[in-house]
Parts: sequence; structure tokens; C-alpha cells
Amino acid sequence: MTVVTKMKGFAAATGFAATLLTGGATYAFADDVTLTMAVPDWPPTRVMKKFFDEQYKPASGNKVKLDVDFIPWPDFYTRVNASLTSGEQKYNFIVSDSQWLGAFVEGGYYRKINDLVDADPDFKKTMESIHPAVYNAYSTYPYKSANLYGFPQFPDVLVTYGRKDVLCNDEEQAAFKAKYNEKLPCTGDEISNMDWNTFEHIGEFFMRKKGEKLAGQVLDDDFYGIAYQAGKGYDFSTTSVHTFMWQHGGNIWDETKAPTGHAEGVVNSPESIAGMEHFLKLLKYMPPVVKTGTMDIFVSDQLFREGKVAMNVDWVGLGEASLDPKSSKVSDKLVFGMAPGLRGADGKIDHTEQIGGQPFVLTTWTTPEQTKEAVAFVKWWLSPEMQNKFAAAGGQSAIKSVYEDPKYATYRPWNKAFAESLDWQKDMWHVPQFFELLTQQQDQFDLAITGKQDAKTTMDNVAKFQEDLLKNAGLIQ
Amino acid sequence: MAENNSIWEALGFRKASGVGEAGWGRTLVVAIVSLIYFLPVLFIIFTAFKPQDAALAVPPTLSPTSLFGLIPQQFVFTPTLENFGSVFMRSMTPGGAPEATGFDRYFFNSIVIASSSVLLALVIGTLAAFGFSRYPLKGNDTYLFIILTTRMLPAIVVIIPVILMFRVVGLSGSYTGIILLYTAFNLAFTIWMMKSFFDELSLDVEDAARIDGSSDIKVFFKIALPQVIAGLAATFVFGLILTWNEFLFALLLSGPDTRTVPVAMNQAVSSGGRGTDWTLLAAIETLFLIPVFLVTFFLQNHLLRGVTFGTVKR
Amino acid sequence: MRLSPDNWKLAILVGLVVSVLAAIALPPHVSFWIVGAMAALVAAAFVVNAYRRKYYGGLLVAPAIAVLFVMNIFPLLWSLGLSFFAYQSNQQSIRFIGLANYTKVLTNDIMAPANWGALVNTAMFVVLTVTAQMIVGFLLAMLFAKQFPLRKYLLILVLTPMMLSVVASGVFFSYYYDPTFGILSYVINAITGGQFILMDSKAGAVTGIVFADAWMWSPFVMLLVLAGLVSVPKYLYEAAAIDRVSKWRQFWTITFPYIRGLMMLALLFRTIEAFKLADLVILLTKGGNDTMTISYHLIRIANEQNKTSEGAAISYLMLFMVIVLTNLYLYIANRRSQGD
Repeated sequence: MTVVTKMKGFAAATGFAATLLTGGATYAFADDVTLTMAVPDWPPTRVMKKFFDEQYKPASGNKVKLDVDFIPWPDFYTRVNASLTSGEQKYNFIVSDSQWLGAFVEGGYYRKINDLVDADPDFKKTMESIHPAVYNAYSTYPYKSANLYGFPQFPDVLVTYGRKDVLCNDEEQAAFKAKYNEKLPCTGDEISNMDWNTFEHIGEFFMRKKGEKLAGQVLDDDFYGIAYQAGKGYDFSTTSVHTFMWQHGGNIWDETKAPTGHAEGVVNSPESIAGMEHFLKLLKYMPPVVKTGTMDIFVSDQLFREGKVAMNVDWVGLGEASLDPKSSKVSDKLVFGMAPGLRGADGKIDHTEQIGGQPFVLTTWTTPEQTKEAVAFVKWWLSPEMQNKFAAAGGQSAIKSVYEDPKYATYRPWNKAFAESLDWQKDMWHVPQFFELLTQQQDQFDLAITGKQDAKTTMDNVAKFQEDLLKNAGLIQ
Repeated sequence: MAENNSIWEALGFRKASGVGEAGWGRTLVVAIVSLIYFLPVLFIIFTAFKPQDAALAVPPTLSPTSLFGLIPQQFVFTPTLENFGSVFMRSMTPGGAPEATGFDRYFFNSIVIASSSVLLALVIGTLAAFGFSRYPLKGNDTYLFIILTTRMLPAIVVIIPVILMFRVVGLSGSYTGIILLYTAFNLAFTIWMMKSFFDELSLDVEDAARIDGSSDIKVFFKIALPQVIAGLAATFVFGLILTWNEFLFALLLSGPDTRTVPVAMNQAVSSGGRGTDWTLLAAIETLFLIPVFLVTFFLQNHLLRGVTFGTVKR
Repeated sequence: MRLSPDNWKLAILVGLVVSVLAAIALPPHVSFWIVGAMAALVAAAFVVNAYRRKYYGGLLVAPAIAVLFVMNIFPLLWSLGLSFFAYQSNQQSIRFIGLANYTKVLTNDIMAPANWGALVNTAMFVVLTVTAQMIVGFLLAMLFAKQFPLRKYLLILVLTPMMLSVVASGVFFSYYYDPTFGILSYVINAITGGQFILMDSKAGAVTGIVFADAWMWSPFVMLLVLAGLVSVPKYLYEAAAIDRVSKWRQFWTITFPYIRGLMMLALLFRTIEAFKLADLVILLTKGGNDTMTISYHLIRIANEQNKTSEGAAISYLMLFMVIVLTNLYLYIANRRSQGD
């Protein structure tokens, strides 16, 4: 007892001495501010929490605590949604998929931050330093409007994961050249300059049975050419399909054109259908699990890490696991490039693709004092210094001065492809009906992926559903 | 009864009441069936001991030992205990130092929450079941049926009002809240189960005791309750298993401090920046299996001793 | 009015006055506990009253009813109420619309087909999984009914599947069924030399889900049946053996009456649980290959899309069906037992 009391007395005395030394001002008004944050449990958020605890010194002199609720990914939406809609008012910060913005803004949960940005020139500068495509995707609702809500937590794009040992093998190079009269992409730049046709050839070329040879070695199991997400869960086929639709000159229902923009005639335009057909055409070069409709981002990543495919198009955010020899059989054979694109008549490749990643947002019940600390924290987090540290620890940054810095590409092997891809990013709808639009089209795409329905019927069904739903909601006239 | 059974009795294999006895022949048949039935679980347990890179090996690795060359080498893996350590301490950031995962807390939470709610439900529910069985109320069956309907709706439908209620009352994220909820969650089953056991008992014995001057309370504790120990054990085991693995209420009503293992288990399904971490998931599940496995094992004696009073059915 | 601990009328009066005053004057988190204390007071009065009048039935049942009311029945009634309103949990507006949600989920061009499809699938899963569980569970129980060496060690092996958490077993079954890594495809491919994919057709996907579910929950049925089997008094069999009654007749006249009630209970609870089948479907197919169940569908509607009142309407229609079905069970069970 006495020891404890003495310790307390000592602590108080030290605190008092410190107050005298620093002039007293900051200590005299120091408050305890707790910011509660809901985040998915994965490395980028763990890194953020770690940096905050180790390095963040609030300029206000307050004692700021970041209370982070790490929620496993598969249940993240369910937990956050239930917390928000039940009026629990538990979290001040929420890491949110950009598509959730509309639903939760309309519900009155996400705080509009225009006033904060306008009031603080530093903050405005920070926001303006974000890549415009990411800024639009992560901050604006309606999409590309002037209303701001979020800041980037982890920006994510699709890139190509490749197996160097297979792609750069001389025998395979020669055989590929002989068969398709083109070079088998081997370096990162060659992969970044690869179109879907080459990607398809790679798919066809590397379909090998058990007992056949791959890069000079006899296979003890079947090997497959390519993989990308084509699964029924969440947005695990939408992401790929949107990419194809856009590149073929089609479009999804465009909320920036509401209320005169339609779904019917756009989503099922000949170009969009061509995109869908292209997406479906490549599935036959993928591992058999694709036929079950469960080829999601994790399954294709796992197949790649287990060394079952030559190339995989997947999120940058899953890259760490490929690098780690514990979880990856190809950790020393990796090569990364931009995701394939569609080569136009002019020979240029269109790399337009669906953006991923997450912004984080403030909630409306956050008190002015908490908001002040939150903005200070966000400014610190998005400062080039911290973003560089974040990137060095395996994060990604959408801050211009950071990703354009030559040293950025040295942090991780996929960073060059990441930076090059940013210009091509587009986002899907931010409207509150997001989940209805998504689930219906995921169901329809699944029918096409598992071979129960052709591309045209699929896109017609999707277009009709969206047209009806959005008309009812008043988003289409 | 055959004499040679005495050895087994001496070793603790009690003689059966019930439908009779069988010998080693039956043991052999049942052993084969049981082992086949157990294989998927065994595989999970083995996976917990596999090195990470063996988890998805093709062909699948099936055994930690080659059993003196009986199993071809390609199906054999080298066991490791590393995964069990990872459950409690592992690196959460790329290249970072191992840090505590909080699983010690989650295990503690699961044990406290499941055991207290199941016991509470057993006490309240057994009393109610005896009431329903011996002192039927007006509209007895209706009450019973309403109680049953509380189990019929998917949790997702009733969860929002519960969250709201907890928030108003200040129970969100507390042990009390989730324990009370689980108690209610178990009550329907407990009441129905225990009532069916009480219904099977003979009333003659109880009536005789009453004539001898025993109070109603004494009849319940001294006569009715000892006869339904098998029922109590079975109900406890079922309640424990259901509560132990309950997921949705736990996800939505527990806070970071009261989170249970089934919720945290999804850390291993996609949280390390990748999909399923097979060996970690298997290790969590294996550890998580142990308490409920032991409870079931030790209650089995009660479970199977059955009703020894030799009462006559009504 | 006399002041006595069993005067429940006075208790109600005092309770009401204090509760109303507290609710008006104090913030909810304080007044809640005062109202709770008043409810306890009233309950105590009832208890003392019942005890003095030897009204044991009510006394014994009361605590269970109280807990159930607060934690289950109240939320149930709440969502029943919501089903008559136009309400989305992520929007602030709420409007009474009578039965419109019910007609919408049953007949609306956009919504209804998915609802009906999910319902048909659920019916199929209920029939398949419950039948499989009852048969396997019963057979297992018969295997374990007699005493034999090592019985308790073998029994625990069979009981283990239901102790697994659904996440772990579902995820591992997705592995067992996986065409590249999984055991099932490996074994079948080794025999046939082809490329076997279980989950690429409706028949395969349903088989996969039903197998996993039946595997997990047959032990539940087994344990209930077994608890009944071991409660049969031995002398009944001894008497039957003396009378040279055939095994088959022994089963129906001696054994079956003892397990009938518990089998009914198993059937009842497994049916109710089968209607709620969602986790395994989510983990194994995500509802692909036409395996969407009503419960998974509800999660999408009520949680993902926040259509709270429509979700409530669907769930009450589902509840109605389960009630009809379970009542049918109970009716048959009661008639049978009266027929003895």
C-alpha cells in the first residue's frame, strides 16, 4: 500500500515539475480525449494503431487515446452496420468501404467534413494532395460531387501477380514465342504493358496436367494459367466485370449522370455485354474452383501462393502474404505489374479498373473536441512523413508527393505498379442502394460464371433490375 | 451375466443398466464407425500441428507419423507446436514483433459467459419444467409453445431491438447483458427437455412420499431431481455446446473486452491480409474444443447411467 | 388495503405510481432500474402470494417467463410491430403501412421470386437434413445402446462434431470439397482419373451442405435417443426375454415408448434449427448453385440492405410456417400417445 501511495506521490511530483518546466500552459488545460475507432483486423490497420501509439504527439497537448476495435474482416460490415443503425453511437472513426458512403451518409451517421476542410488551410492542402481518383472514390458522396466525407486509410488497386520462375524460363519463353508469335511477359514492365489477349494466351499456354513439364520440371499436380476474382461473395466478381465493361467502352449505371442517366441501355449496351463476354471467356484457363462460383480474392490469392497458377490479378493489399515464405511457396519468384488492359486500335492499352481499398470517416456524434483531435490526427496520418513510414511498413499511399517519390517503388515489389495504376481508377456507385445493386448483380454474374446463363441475358437482367430499383428510389427519372 | 466382465468393472467400465450388454465384437464394429465419423475432426486437429506450408499440400498430408512405414511418406507431415503459440502471440504487422492477440481473454470470456448462462438457464429452466409438468397452469401447452417460438426466428431479426435495449440500459459490451441473453437463448430448450424427462417419471413414488409427509420441496429435491440426472447432464451438455459456439449475438453485443472465441476466430479466416490461415484456425478450434470436450466426457457417466430407480412408466 | 407482503394489488399500485414518476422525472438509464426494482417488488408480492396459496405452478414458471419476456418475447413483439411499418434501419423515417410489407414480399415482381425461391430451397434443406440426422442419429444410438468395453471413449468421438464451431467446420468442409486442394477430389480423381468438382452443380452443392450439416448434428439426435434408450428399465427386457417376445416386437412395445418423446423433441428442435440454416451455406456456396435459404436471404435483406421491416415481414411469414409445422408434429405426437 505505502509503496503504491509513494509511487503515486512521486508521479504527481514529476508531473508538477514537468508542468513548471514547460511553462504550465499545455499541462494546465490538458484533457483526456478518447477516439474510438472501428477497423477491420488486418496489417494496414494494425500498423496505423502501432504508429499512433508509438509516435503520435498531439499538438494540442491533450492526452489523446485511440481506442481501436479490431473486428475480423468477414464480419466487419455486419458489426459496423448493426452498431450504426441501432443508434449505439459507439465509434468516432470508422474504416469504411467507399461504396458504403451513401447508405451511411443518408442515415445520418457519417459526418460531412467540408466545414473542417474549409476552416483549416493545412487540412485543405492535405486533402488536395490526394490523388484525384482516390479522392473522388474515398471522399465524395454523391460520387464526384463537392460533398466530402472520408480520408484514405488504405488505398488499394488491382495488379498482376506473376511467377518469375515460370514466365522467365527460357524454354517456356521460346515455346510461347513459337506458338503465339509474341514475347512471354517476364519483367514488371512487360507485364504492365500486357493486354488481355496476351493474358489469355498465358492462360491457355500454362494449362498443364500432372506429369507434364513446367519450366523444365515434372509437375506433381495440375497447373493452371491464370486467375482473377470471379466469386459470388460480396463484390468478388463485380470488381472484375466492371473493369472489363469500362475497358470495352461500356458503363455501369453512372450516378454522376442522375437523374437522367439510365441503367437500361447502358449496363446492357453492346459494349458492356462485350466486356462481360470477355470476362467469361478467360475463366476456362483458371483452376477448377472457379466453376463452383467461389473464386474470391482470397481463393485466387491462395492458389497463387500455393504455386498453382502462373498469374493472378488481385489486390495489392493481399501482397504481404505472397512475400512471406511461411505462407507462400512462391515468395522468391515474384514479379508484379499493372493489371492487364484492353489494347485499343491505336495500340495503347486502356487500364481502367475498379478501385478497392478503404477510406475512414468521422461520425456525426463526435464532439467538437474529439473532432479537433481527429482532424489533427488525420493531418498527421496523411502527412508525407507518416505516409512514407506507412508505405515502408507495408501500407500504400495516395498522397502525390509520396507515391511519386522514387524511393516509394523500393518499399515493396508491387509499388511501382500501384503508382502507375492510380490514374486508371474508377469507383462503383456510392448511392444508398449500393448493397441491393451489388447483391443482385453478384447473383446474376454468378449464374453466368457457373455457365447457367449467357452474357446478354445476364446484363439484361441486371439492367432491368437496376432501372426498376433506381426509378423507385427516384434516382432515375 | 458373463464372469469375464468383472475385469472391466474393476477398470472402471460400469455394468450397464438399460438394454443389455455386448462384448468386444460390438466394440470393434462401433470403433470402426466412430473413427470414420471422427475423421473430419481428426483432420482439423492434425492441421493444428502442421507446419504452415503443409496445410494445403497436394496430396493432403494425413498423419504425423508414418506408423512404421505403413503410410507413404507423401501423406506424412512433421508435427509442430508453433501454431498453438501463434494463437496467443504472433506478429500482426508485416515483419513486426510478435504481440499478444488477446486470445487468452477471449477464452476466459467464452468460459465465463457460456458456463454461467447455461447453469442459470438450467436452474431457472428445471424449476419451470417441473412446474409445467406437475402443476399445469391454465393454458399450459400454450405457454410451452410460446416459449418454443422464441427459438424459431433467426437471430438477425430480433437483434436490433436487443442492441437498442442494451444501449438504453447500459448493458452493451457487458458480461451481464450477454449472459442474460444466452440464458434466455437456452431456456426454451432446457424447459422442453427437462419437462419431457419429468413427464417420463412415475408419479406413484412422489405421491407415496407426499402421503408419508414429505413437503413438495422435498419431493422435488429428494425424489424427482435425482431421477432426471441423465436429463440434466444432457441438457447441460447441449446448452453448453450451443452457447459455446454461438456467433451472431456475440458478434453484435460483445465489446472488445467481452468478445468470445467464435467471434475472434474469424481472425484466422481472413485477417492477416490474406484468406484462411488454415493451421491457425485449426489451432484455435482445437484449443477451443478442449473444454467442451472434457465437460461432455465427464458428464457422460451421468448421461449414460440413465434412470436407475427402476421406476414404472405412468 | 392491508399492508402485507402478499398483497399484489397494492404492489402493482405502488409500482405503477413510482415507475411513472421515475420515468417522467429521471433519465432513462436511472429510471430503467427503478422500474425494474418496482417490477421485482410486484413479482415478489406475487411470489409470496402464490407461496401462501400453494400455487406452485405459477411460482416455478415465473422466473423463466420473466427472463424470456425481457430477452426474447419483447424483441420479437418489437419486430412484429415493425413489420407493419415502412422502416429501414439506416433511415430516420417511419410510416405505418399495414400489411403492405407482407403483400410486397409475397407478390412484388422484384422481391417475391427470390423469396419464394429461398423458401423452396429451405423446405428442401429441412426435409433432407432433418431426415438424414434422424436416421443417422437413431442408428448411432442403437449402436451405442448396449454396454460394451470402451463404450464411453468411442461415444465421445461421435459426439465431437457438434462441439465444433460452425465457422471452423464450414471452412474446413470447404477445404474437403475443394477441387484443387481437397481430399474428396483427390481421392475421386485418383480412382477415376478425371477432374471431380463436387460443388459445381445444384445436386452437388446440396449434397455437400446436407452432408456437413447432418454430420454435425446427427450426434444431437443420437444423444437424445440414447438418453431415452438407457432409461428403459432392464427388467422389462428380462420379462420379455422370458416371454420369448421377438426383438422387433420388443423394440416397438418396450423400447419405442421410452424414446418416442425424446425423438419428437429431437425432431422438433432440429426442424426449427434447419429453418435457420445459413452459416454453412454462406461458408460453402454463398448461396450459389441455387442454394439460397430463407435465413441467409433474411441476413441479406435485414442486415446488408437494412430493409428492417421487410425482413421482419418475411421472418414472421417464416415463423407462421414453422408454427404450423411444429403444431402438426405436436398434434400427431399427442394423438399417438393418447392412442396407447
